[in-house]
Amino acid sequence: MKRKWYLTITAVFLVMGILLSLQFRAQENFASGLTMQRTENLIAMVRDLSSKRQNLSFEILDLTERLTAQKQAERDDKQLVSNIANEMNKLNIITGATELIGPGLTITIDRYMPILYIDIINIVNELWAAGAEAISINDQRVTANSAIFYAENSNNVFLTVNNHTIDYPVVIMAIGDAANLEKGLTIPGGIMDNLALFGAYPVLEKKDETTVVARNDTPHFYFLKEYKPEDTSSSESKPAANNQIHND
Amino acid sequence: MSRKWLLPITIMCFIAGFFLTFQLKVMAGISTVNPISERNTNLITIINDLEEEIKNQEELIGETRDNLDKLQEEQIKGRLQELQDSLKTAKILAGLTPVAGKGIVITVDDNTEGLKANPDDDPNKYIIHYSQLLNIVSELKVGGAEAISINGQRLITTSEIRCVGNLILINTTRIAPPFEISAIGSPRLLAEIVTASELAIMKLSNYPVDLKEVEELIIPAYKGDLQFKYAQTKGEN
Repeated sequence: MKRKWYLTITAVFLVMGILLSLQFRAQENFASGLTMQRTENLIAMVRDLSSKRQNLSFEILDLTERLTAQKQAERDDKQLVSNIANEMNKLNIITGATELIGPGLTITIDRYMPILYIDIINIVNELWAAGAEAISINDQRVTANSAIFYAENSNNVFLTVNNHTIDYPVVIMAIGDAANLEKGLTIPGGIMDNLALFGAYPVLEKKDETTVVARNDTPHFYFLKEYKPEDTSSSESKPAANNQIHND
Repeated sequence: MSRKWLLPITIMCFIAGFFLTFQLKVMAGISTVNPISERNTNLITIINDLEEEIKNQEELIGETRDNLDKLQEEQIKGRLQELQDSLKTAKILAGLTPVAGKGIVITVDDNTEGLKANPDDDPNKYIIHYSQLLNIVSELKVGGAEAISINGQRLITTSEIRCVGNLILINTTRIAPPFEISAIGSPRLLAEIVTASELAIMKLSNYPVDLKEVEELIIPAYKGDLQFKYAQTKGEN
């Protein structure tokens, strides 16, 4: 009789142990990265990453073509100059050196809307996320170094961009796919919904052609310099790396 | 004697029954979600594959840009100096070169201790959100940051900081805590502005926050694409 008692207890503990460990494993799974995400978010990730992959492959194609053109140019100055001009064109879009035109979205904010500089930062961030290629706020181009902030005097608070005061109405111009840009701001629970809670309704207009101004002045860097890694052995190790790719 | 025997068994049965139902409930939950969870597993595989491929593409892009730079430099050496200089400046401004200089490194992390202590509380109050990173970055720009990266992702003009679910993305690249924000600029000015606002708020909420001033820090180049489909230089059609 007593032995049976032990057997039962042992069996019960064994089962409990297994159940408990199963339970812990299940919970552990839930705590790590992607597995925690909901299906629609994972789908959004796949979509975003696919379009990024596509853009990267275009970029690789571009770069390969440019490398070939550059090699062919040899010491032909005319060819070299035109190659570099093409490259500069692209870089100028990023650095804000030139005035740009293209389809896009304008966002107009008037004096009476309860909108703070932080809202402008969020709108600009959403526009980049929605694929904007260039953005300006009134007469100021937004670049990597642009500070969006505020300034105040005795009776007013002003929005500032690049340390310049922005007068009302504040007009944000973004070049890109107009429909995508609009969607980026108006998705349910997005920034427009958020602003509506505070009674702010910026006016969105899709445009076939918008103009984004060039930056006013070249930023001066006082602390930053180009970093050149010491590449003594890299030239010798590169052919080996190439061979490996071919062998694969 | 036989009565005494009954009591522990009853208790054991109760406990086992409790765990069984609990377990069954969890299993039931899993089995009803099963088709979705299967689908999620497939999606996660796709995401991992894409991320792997993107990493390789970005390495290739970085390498090709380096080769192109070297070739250009060689070919132009001693001639067309002005053109060469403006190209170099533009590349630095665009974020296509790694850069070095004085600055600060901020490290922020999820408040895992806090969540452990309050497991029933809303976990969202303990994890870092993209908006906190966006605020820190915006403040760094006000402080005159000349170059910024987060977990090795260089922030360029078009870089976004956003979330999908509770994944944080920069340049459409997933980054995970702890977040290390590096900024080149005046260490004192940068430290002053960030400690006065967002970092102060985060500290109050018990997020692990660290800030150090660095004599020489290196910020990597942007390795993504520069593909423009809509923007055109004005007066050049």
